[in-house]
Amino acid sequence: MPDAYITAAGAHLPGPPVGNAEMARHIGFLDGRSEALGRLALRQNRITSRHYALSPDNSVSASNAEMAALAVADAVAKSERALKEIDLLAACTTQGDLLVPGHASQVQAALGIGPLELVSVQSVCAGALIAAKAAALQVMADGKRAAAVVGSEFSSRWFRPGFYPETALADQGHRAALEFLRWTLSDGAGAILIEPRPNERRQSFKIEWIKLVSLAHAFPPCMAAGTVPARRTERDGGWSHRPDTALADGALVLWQDMVLLKRIIRAWVGEYLKLVDAGHIVPERVDWLLCHYSAENLRQEIVSILRATGGMIAEEKWFTNLHSKGNTGAAALFVMLDEFVVRGLVRPGQQVLCIVPESGRAMIGFMMLRAL
Amino acid sequence: MTLADAVPVDAADAAAGPTADPTADPTADPTADAAADAFVADILRGLAIVWTDFETRLDQVPIIDKLNRGAFRLEDYRALLANLRQQVIDGGCWIARAASQIDVAHFELRSQFLRHSITEHRDFRMLEENYASVGGDVAAIRAGEKNIGSEALSAFMFHRAGQPNPFDLLGAMFIIEGLGSLKAAGWAEVIRDQLGLAEDQVSFLAYHGANDDDHLAEFAHWVRQAADHPNARGIVKTARVVARLYLLQLEELDHV
Repeated sequence: MPDAYITAAGAHLPGPPVGNAEMARHIGFLDGRSEALGRLALRQNRITSRHYALSPDNSVSASNAEMAALAVADAVAKSERALKEIDLLAACTTQGDLLVPGHASQVQAALGIGPLELVSVQSVCAGALIAAKAAALQVMADGKRAAAVVGSEFSSRWFRPGFYPETALADQGHRAALEFLRWTLSDGAGAILIEPRPNERRQSFKIEWIKLVSLAHAFPPCMAAGTVPARRTERDGGWSHRPDTALADGALVLWQDMVLLKRIIRAWVGEYLKLVDAGHIVPERVDWLLCHYSAENLRQEIVSILRATGGMIAEEKWFTNLHSKGNTGAAALFVMLDEFVVRGLVRPGQQVLCIVPESGRAMIGFMMLRAL
Repeated sequence: MTLADAVPVDAADAAAGPTADPTADPTADPTADAAADAFVADILRGLAIVWTDFETRLDQVPIIDKLNRGAFRLEDYRALLANLRQQVIDGGCWIARAASQIDVAHFELRSQFLRHSITEHRDFRMLEENYASVGGDVAAIRAGEKNIGSEALSAFMFHRAGQPNPFDLLGAMFIIEGLGSLKAAGWAEVIRDQLGLAEDQVSFLAYHGANDDDHLAEFAHWVRQAADHPNARGIVKTARVVARLYLLQLEELDHV
């Protein structure tokens, strides 16, 4: 069976970088309290710039699927392959442009290539690794020769004031959690190409392994849209059961349960330490860590536990572009990998560990790469 | 579990043997020092894994699930206190028994166990006051029996505490104290809010949350003190057993 190699990475970040002071021009103005909570969120996540597909005049520079297509095209342009050689497209997003059909179909149509095979993943951040694993396994076991994997998000459209009725803003605790996401998530797409052999003249990474663990059996939804927190586990708690009032109930708002998140973070640390204990991850042998995290303060939460347990990967090995490119959810890992490759930081033989936690309903993904 | 493999067997055995010099400076040999550091990190990692699995499973126990989803009743709080009480009264006792089994080479650890025993053995009084304040009959819980989970938990603790140098019980302390520092205060707050109680009606749970802040750093120190003894290798397994039996205690409320 052949191995699987990442042979290119690419990204599409729409429009010019948007600084903290200009955010409200794109996502809209809720009220004065929102601005204050926004400043708090920005101190916590320490993001200084991001990109939006939504312009201040409400025009849209690209749909979610179009951003994904542009990122795939960017990855292909940096590869030794042509767009028409892609025989598998694995696409993931948190919320696609349409409810139906599948997101990957829309991305394929935007790319204008085919016939080919699709993997359509709807999850949150870790969807990037679900899609990457599906693609890598098809390259290894099903004879695929050029698999494109793409994660993309168009978060900003959900942050416009029209989605936030008074009812959703009344509860102060809930409101802080809504605002945290509103001032943290932004738009963009990232892609990688997976092939059964490495490049001849460009940077490649051998995929050593990809492991995902979901703890959804043990936790209720932590980051969700389509229901309100109080009805999150009810059979008919979803927006589609009340088509006439869902918007006014605040059921279309994206929210996060910050109390539950802290419990889930500890569970993620446990899953990571299991891989250390089993010898899959040897912290001192990892040369680079590309860890997706939503905010700088959440990173600090885990560092002390990792230090005490011999699980810490030295901070000088951490690479991120969260602060300049924003938190782009399912796109974030590949957006990070693209910049990591472009900056030429990695040396042949080095081990690169990628970690993508997903708070949606408690999942975490790990990918170990070996630079060639 | 492979944690024990991380310790060089001869180093641990030599230090534990009859020729070991209790006054020897453990920091004198840099190789032994590095091995002890690695051992402590391995133990703490094992404990962190046991803890996170335990915490995840705790949320699935019916009474904690009710608490998490806002469906907790006053009778649930009374049941929780009544069931915890029968094991809490033993808390100071098994630690005191364990302390009496610690040899002079580990004098500092013995002091720590004794101190710990003293702080634990009065806990049940606060619990009983909380129980009475929410309409519980104190005479009834004083006459009560352990539930079947508490029986198993208590029996295991006393069994281990009767062994010579039972340093594996540090694993039990890690779980019990972790419950105090990471869970109990949060539960106290939620119970107070859901049932509309006053601070002094949830003080047993709240007190444990406030009690130990620097849980992990202090714990690392005690593990290091025991690192030269083979029984320290059992810390993670004992933590795993205690975590399971603690869950059993909460799963078997009123099942006596």
